[in-house]
Amino acid sequence: MNRKSPLILVVDDDPDILDAICDILDVEGYAVARARHGEEALERVAESRPDLILLDLMMPVMDGITFAHALRGRRIEPEIPVVVVSADGNPQKAASIGARGFLAKPFDIDALLAHVSSNVRPHEVISPVATRS
Amino acid sequence: MRSAQRESSAEAKQAPRSKDGGRAGHLAFVAHEMRNPLSTALWSAELLARLSPEERGGPRGEKLAGMCLRTLARLRHLVEDHFLADRLAVHGIPVRIEGIPLAEALTAAAGRVAGARYEAAVDGFVVHADRAMLERALEALVAVAGRDGTAVQVAAERGQGVVRIQVRGAPPGEDPFRLPDRSTPSDPTGRALGLLAAQSVAAVHGGTLEVCDGGYLLSLPVDPSGEER
Repeated sequence: MNRKSPLILVVDDDPDILDAICDILDVEGYAVARARHGEEALERVAESRPDLILLDLMMPVMDGITFAHALRGRRIEPEIPVVVVSADGNPQKAASIGARGFLAKPFDIDALLAHVSSNVRPHEVISPVATRS
Repeated sequence: MRSAQRESSAEAKQAPRSKDGGRAGHLAFVAHEMRNPLSTALWSAELLARLSPEERGGPRGEKLAGMCLRTLARLRHLVEDHFLADRLAVHGIPVRIEGIPLAEALTAAAGRVAGARYEAAVDGFVVHADRAMLERALEALVAVAGRDGTAVQVAAERGQGVVRIQVRGAPPGEDPFRLPDRSTPSDPTGRALGLLAAQSVAAVHGGTLEVCDGGYLLSLPVDPSGEER
């Protein structure tokens, strides 16, 4: 995979939220991938290792907490940073999964962009999935 | 009349809330459900404001305006359904009973559901109800039964002192009248509280809303107060 821009994976079951966040990031020059729940997000991670994951917590099929544990279980190096974006105003859940940041909906666009720019992993142009055995 | 309303209001309060209780969990769900469209509405409005006048008239401006309007409509459904159910529970809305041709109420209600496709066999039926509340209940039922573009069929029949209104379309989920809480899936159409509101409307009229034959059955008494009108 060859990417010029950092890839942000947005995981949310709400189609409007997905559209809006992806639009915001796209305009700022980020590459974006989207997933509607944790299971899809794991597939996206396997396809194209993102440089940051924006993760909702309350989702069908696989919620954000379960996804985060599954992601850590894959032992991807270097670790993909996660920022939780949730309508649940409890930041402790984000802390419990080792998230780098927490944004409670509704949050400001500038706050989102600040969290993204400060947490996005140093970008690698060619990035095959590497795992610890 | 007033005491009858109070009794039925008390039922409205009990019916939807008794199965699971958990008022705090319910309010957490409502807050969660509202924050998503509120976020999108705020973002799209802010992004629109950041566009140049030329961009605002272009495809991106059009997309953002559509997103803003769609999510505000979604938020409106949630707010109105939430407060209708809650105000009925505390007798906060006067119930003005009148005779309403069901076909007329259904036309008005379905007209407010975007993309609704329905067939109705309700001509000649007159329901004694509060017009605004009846239309809100029918609107919710048409929207919920018509989710994902499903065609809706509405039929009516007379029973003993009641009019039974059957609304069929997309099959009801498991335990559809359970008080929505944190475990309830989010509804991107904003109708997550519609059944709760419709059930409260039924109860305040001394009627019921239940699942029957794979659809919803709204039963309203012909004369809930027992008074002459």
